[in-house]
Amino acid sequence: MNKYNPPRMNPSSLRSRFATRFLRSLSEINAQKPTASSSSPTEIFRRYRRIKVAADKSMAYSVRSRRTWSRAMLWKLRTRPCGRRSVKTSTIVRKTRHEKQNKNTTTATTTGEDGVVSGVEADELRELVPGGEAMDLYNLLDETAHYIKCLTTQVQVMKKIADFYSP
Amino acid sequence: MQPCSREMQAMNSLQDLQINVHTPHADFLEQMLSTTSFPASSSSSSWSDLNPQDNNAAAAAGFHHHEILASNLRQQQQINGGHDSNPFQAMKMMMQQQQQQQQMMVAGFGRATVAATAAAGVGTHQGGGEGSMQALFNSLGYGSLHQPQASFGSDSTPEVNHSQVPTAAAATPGKPKQKVRARRGQATDPHSIAERLRRVRIAERMKSLQELVPNANKTDKASMLDEIIDYVKFLQLQVKVLSMSRLGGAAAVAPLVTDMPFEGGGDCFQTSGNGGSLPRNSNGNRTPSDNESLTVSEHQVAKLMEEDMGSAMQYLQGKGLCLMPISLATAISTATCHSRNPMVSNVNTNSTGVNVSHLLLQSSGGDGSSSPSLSALTVQSATMGNGGVDGAASVSKPLD
Repeated sequence: MNKYNPPRMNPSSLRSRFATRFLRSLSEINAQKPTASSSSPTEIFRRYRRIKVAADKSMAYSVRSRRTWSRAMLWKLRTRPCGRRSVKTSTIVRKTRHEKQNKNTTTATTTGEDGVVSGVEADELRELVPGGEAMDLYNLLDETAHYIKCLTTQVQVMKKIADFYSP
Repeated sequence: MQPCSREMQAMNSLQDLQINVHTPHADFLEQMLSTTSFPASSSSSSWSDLNPQDNNAAAAAGFHHHEILASNLRQQQQINGGHDSNPFQAMKMMMQQQQQQQQMMVAGFGRATVAATAAAGVGTHQGGGEGSMQALFNSLGYGSLHQPQASFGSDSTPEVNHSQVPTAAAATPGKPKQKVRARRGQATDPHSIAERLRRVRIAERMKSLQELVPNANKTDKASMLDEIIDYVKFLQLQVKVLSMSRLGGAAAVAPLVTDMPFEGGGDCFQTSGNGGSLPRNSNGNRTPSDNESLTVSEHQVAKLMEEDMGSAMQYLQGKGLCLMPISLATAISTATCHSRNPMVSNVNTNSTGVNVSHLLLQSSGGDGSSSPSLSALTVQSATMGNGGVDGAASVSKPLD
């Protein structure tokens, strides 16, 4: 009898959680897709959007609500498809609280003793990291670190999947 | 311990200094001068020995004290305008704050602080804010006390690390007219302290970010931030590109679709050889009892797969599973490639806050093996601990 013990993934790692969810959503997308040809550019674009949203969503769900950026991304994903969907009051309250916090902390451009103009880049970083608008620089850097880690995981898993299926 | 004894000696000398602080101003200078030379001569060497050791200790404890001292000295310097009075004031500050902190730490702190802030003072004199920053960081003890980067043209700070006190002692006799500003409660200026703390913490975070981002040349913070921004943009772009490229590969994902009949077969099924023999599951060694439920589900899945792949997939999806080739799982988990072409089913049940993920791998060896063999590996663990399932049970189940 052939005993094949594959190298064991840590099932609680971010990578395996994301991979699981993403594959599931991929199969769901393929289930939705009608057997019609997907050669038209709009169709392709729509599919690409769906896949990207699935990837982001599965990543955000893998992180749960432990991180501000995942919460912000989930909130964004929930409200984006239906523009007029009623937003949960809890998230709104949270956002306003964040914004208040933002106003209190001085996030002005600190050009002084640091020798660094943190203002402009910080704003740019805030645009990139979801949910970064309502954070001071300190937490923003923390979120950025985690976000970068999750993005790299996402890219790795997607690359592996693509490599596996494409040839 | 030798250093400790020397430290105590230094402490005693400092205590003498402290006692002298409370005397009136006229005698103050003389006593300071007289006693300043004492610790300088006796313990300068000891302080140089203590330097590497204390830095680690200094970094470990008493962060606030250091910061307060630093801010004290910074303000002192700004007010007095003369940096060669700094060591003198530094000594005074050390003595004042001494009672509040662990005495063992203060010596190292004082030296480090004096060194750092003297360097900081010179740095700011020369208009380089970065130098002061560097000095503070260095004195915080990232391993060892480096020479601050700012070049010191002043007389009192050529040898920052080792001869601070002697030069202070040498400098102070030359300036008898000292403005003794007893800035006792520097905590009255919380903004500078808070800002300093904040800046240091931000710098720590930048350092950790720097390790994540590939181009790690920390020349200065602005360029580092730019690198981070570019890297995040690059990663997001990569995700976009990959999701576009998935369109082609997604066609091959089709076999995993629920309603695909088994006979249709995608790539992962075609090479699986005898698909009909898949459901032949025989119980191998399954140790924990809570895996019995998994066994049952596996059996059911196998039975369903026998009849119709679509229903099997529906069953799996109802349980929140998905199917993927084991080679993909291995590829995801490691960088190695696959030799066999097995089937893998991932079980991920999200039930009421407890996230239990089971990894079920069923491999059917089609390449070069005469009889298909299934081996199952079950790993069960609780990811979100809601008091949920504990432990990890891994079972390998060979099949014929």
